[in-house]
Amino acid sequence: MVKVAHVQLCSCCGCLVSLADTYEKLLDVLNSIELVYCQTLADAREIPECDIALVEGSVCLDDHHSLEVAQEVRKKAKIVVALGACAATGGVTRYSKGNQLSKPVHSSFSPLTEVIKVDLAIPGCPPSPEAIVDVITAALNGDMEYLHPFAELAENGSEACGCDVIYKVVNKSLCMGCGTCAAACPTRAIEMEDGRPNIIKELCIKCGACSVQCPRIRFPELIEKIE
Amino acid sequence: MSNRIEISPTTRHEGHAKLILEVDDEGIVSKAYYLNTTPVRGFETMLKGKPAEFAPIAVMRICGICQTTHGIASCEAIENAIDCEVPEDGLLLRELVGIGNRLHSHPLHHLLTVDDFLKPDETELRIELIKLIQRMRKVGQLIVDIVGGEGIHPPNIVIGGMRTNITERAKSKIYYALRQYEKDANELYEKYTWLIERFLDEIGIPDLGAHEYPYIASHTTYGDRYAINWNDVTEIPAQRYYDDEEAKHTTTVQIPLYGGVPAEGGPRARMVRFGSFREGGSAMDINIARAQENLGATYRAFEILDELDLNGKTRAEVVYKDGFGIGVHEAPRATNTHMAEVGKDGRIKSYRIIAASTWNFPIVEKAIEGYPQQYAEVIMRAYDI
Amino acid sequence: MDPFGTYKKVVSARSTLKEVLKKAQDGGIVSTAFIYGLENNLLDGVIVADNAGEFRAIPKVATTPEEVLEAAGTKYTVCPNVSVLKSAVREYGCEKIGVVGTPCQVRAVRKLMKYPIGFRHIPDKISLIIGIFCMENFPYYGLKLIVEEHCGVKMEDVVKLDIGKGKFWVYTKWGETKAVKLKETHPYEQIACHVCTDYTAELADISTGSVGSPDGWSTVFIRTTKGEEIFNKMVEDGYLEVKPIEEVKPGLGLVEKLALTKKEKNLKEIEHRKELGLPVPY
Repeated sequence: MVKVAHVQLCSCCGCLVSLADTYEKLLDVLNSIELVYCQTLADAREIPECDIALVEGSVCLDDHHSLEVAQEVRKKAKIVVALGACAATGGVTRYSKGNQLSKPVHSSFSPLTEVIKVDLAIPGCPPSPEAIVDVITAALNGDMEYLHPFAELAENGSEACGCDVIYKVVNKSLCMGCGTCAAACPTRAIEMEDGRPNIIKELCIKCGACSVQCPRIRFPELIEKIE
Repeated sequence: MSNRIEISPTTRHEGHAKLILEVDDEGIVSKAYYLNTTPVRGFETMLKGKPAEFAPIAVMRICGICQTTHGIASCEAIENAIDCEVPEDGLLLRELVGIGNRLHSHPLHHLLTVDDFLKPDETELRIELIKLIQRMRKVGQLIVDIVGGEGIHPPNIVIGGMRTNITERAKSKIYYALRQYEKDANELYEKYTWLIERFLDEIGIPDLGAHEYPYIASHTTYGDRYAINWNDVTEIPAQRYYDDEEAKHTTTVQIPLYGGVPAEGGPRARMVRFGSFREGGSAMDINIARAQENLGATYRAFEILDELDLNGKTRAEVVYKDGFGIGVHEAPRATNTHMAEVGKDGRIKSYRIIAASTWNFPIVEKAIEGYPQQYAEVIMRAYDI
Repeated sequence: MDPFGTYKKVVSARSTLKEVLKKAQDGGIVSTAFIYGLENNLLDGVIVADNAGEFRAIPKVATTPEEVLEAAGTKYTVCPNVSVLKSAVREYGCEKIGVVGTPCQVRAVRKLMKYPIGFRHIPDKISLIIGIFCMENFPYYGLKLIVEEHCGVKMEDVVKLDIGKGKFWVYTKWGETKAVKLKETHPYEQIACHVCTDYTAELADISTGSVGSPDGWSTVFIRTTKGEEIFNKMVEDGYLEVKPIEEVKPGLGLVEKLALTKKEKNLKEIEHRKELGLPVPY
């Protein structure tokens, strides 16, 4: 059975809760893998060798433990998945700047994708339960075609952020005004005005959901198969 | 003679933490340190200078399990600072979304603790309980999805009230889901309580994890800033609270005190303060109180559905002015407090959070002390850190 | 080049509902399918482009046949239908949603179903996707310039717009009809439409448009099992009249011609963009 670990770095645990929001199907998911480490759900205290590590959270560079765990995960796991915005794109922790009790020196938080080599990155705050299960399933089946966009994001993870729909779509005469980005935005920071996204940038948490969902940046061919 | 042992990381709870225990020759804990090791992402300083609307969005991301309570406390603090009155239907929906969160969070906690009480061969019962818990969580999350807009980090909780009302169809969907929840919560209460009683019986320590510290609670299902005397609340740095060098330098939380001493928040605290739940008993009482609260919250949700006007206004107009406000919401795990200083430019001048869990960190230590070390984590988990 | 994408069958069809035909652009297929779905519990909410006055369009979640009727008629401007999809599931509490959209919007919906990163609990709630034929779309003020400056009609006087026979038609409430050649409207097209090679909404469950069928009728592609089921039921229950596409004029040939025109023209544009080093969807 494929050995899977869930590792939480600097995050809210919302990505794991999202996985748990598969409700009655959670048991099926857990039965299809061997969950070898998940500090929130199980008692294993050390990260073992594993096939897939789902890592949520950014890395606090000012906390040696956080940095060590990130590196340990890379050594122990064959496939490292940056699960959710904090790990994939930085998310809300992009705004962290320290000087707060009781650890005023914790000031630098980087997405996992900028600290270690990551194989797959799932943006979103949090990514939907369905997306997480789809990625796990594709990874179990070795469906690289499906995973390709996530592999790309792992490489350029830090770029997947709010203004991308402006830079990559609106500014490049590719936006046709479907409104998908607005619906995808977890903070409702996007309103459609005159058929184009208006990004209320003060409300953007850099999760990357808008740009990753845009059909005018990336449209994998496999979507064209309908039955 | 005492041994110093370390349990690191502690498991089956949110975040990172460790226990350091000084244990005597009989295996009894004489001194416990429960130290949070989660790095400080610094939401208080993150918000300085940011538009107030960003505050609830950001602070929800403190905790992915009880995001709702942070969003509500944040909005309440800012509304209090600018004297903004949320319309009645906005308040009802806000209470409902908070209840929805509790209806998922409490069962999630039952899921995390159930292995403490089950025997290794009770696999069928375990699966049955997981299914029951997941069915309950689904209802809680459905409410947060509908009312809050997203089950995790609900964006409809906004300064001034709620972004939108719900439709008749959505309301009836919630109603019927709650009817199922009511049944499931009763079943869970019976089974879970039975497991806990059996456990206490078998280990022969009926008062496992008892302590003599006071309780803090402001409301049964929402939050009330006027129910707490804020002059009695202080938060001190770990450096001042602990005498142990490792504890001083390890933990990433500050220590909140009520009337100069730690205080327990959460299900038992609420049910003692606003009901007739027994005081001073085993920490396992908190687990039982939590399972009871599922029902109380369900009944309040039914009331809210009856009171709610689907055509009512849910959001007040927001006009900023200079001010300071306190927002309080009863998180599943304890009283959650946000304090905001806002400027008339609509920006945050300063922000402080006494997150729910932090109340219980020092209490967990007191509860562990005096009991066998092998139950330290079981006691800790009862607090749903 | 494959002009139409995957489909099971293609027919010419028309609604039998009088109230629909009164308001519909052509055969009233979209309105009828949605009304049928809502009345028969196959759908509990549908996303439509509603009339926002003077041919502005805004997306709306409709949960009753009356609301569907209010929104009937083709819109000739951008309407971000997908933007309200989430709210249909959330505050509206819908579980069986019908969506209508242009080919690009249908593609967006298919993508979010396959890669639902920011669409928690949404994919399994989309029950029917109806696509409408589309050559290109206009930003609202593009449309307004065509109507007011090229056709000389004040927007508030317009009762109906139409594209057909190589012309853009404007019908006024005073009973007048104005038309300009489509060539004149090209400068007002949304440029982003030029990287789209999908004319017949190839990824929809059912796609429909006036082209290929006689006035008052629509050409309908039934593409998926889901689309086939609901379409057959509608026919059985007498909501639709159907004719074989081979028996109508101008017939499928015209649809093919337009579909291929769009593909060829826009493939060239895609190549052109690549030469310039501009991004294209991939």
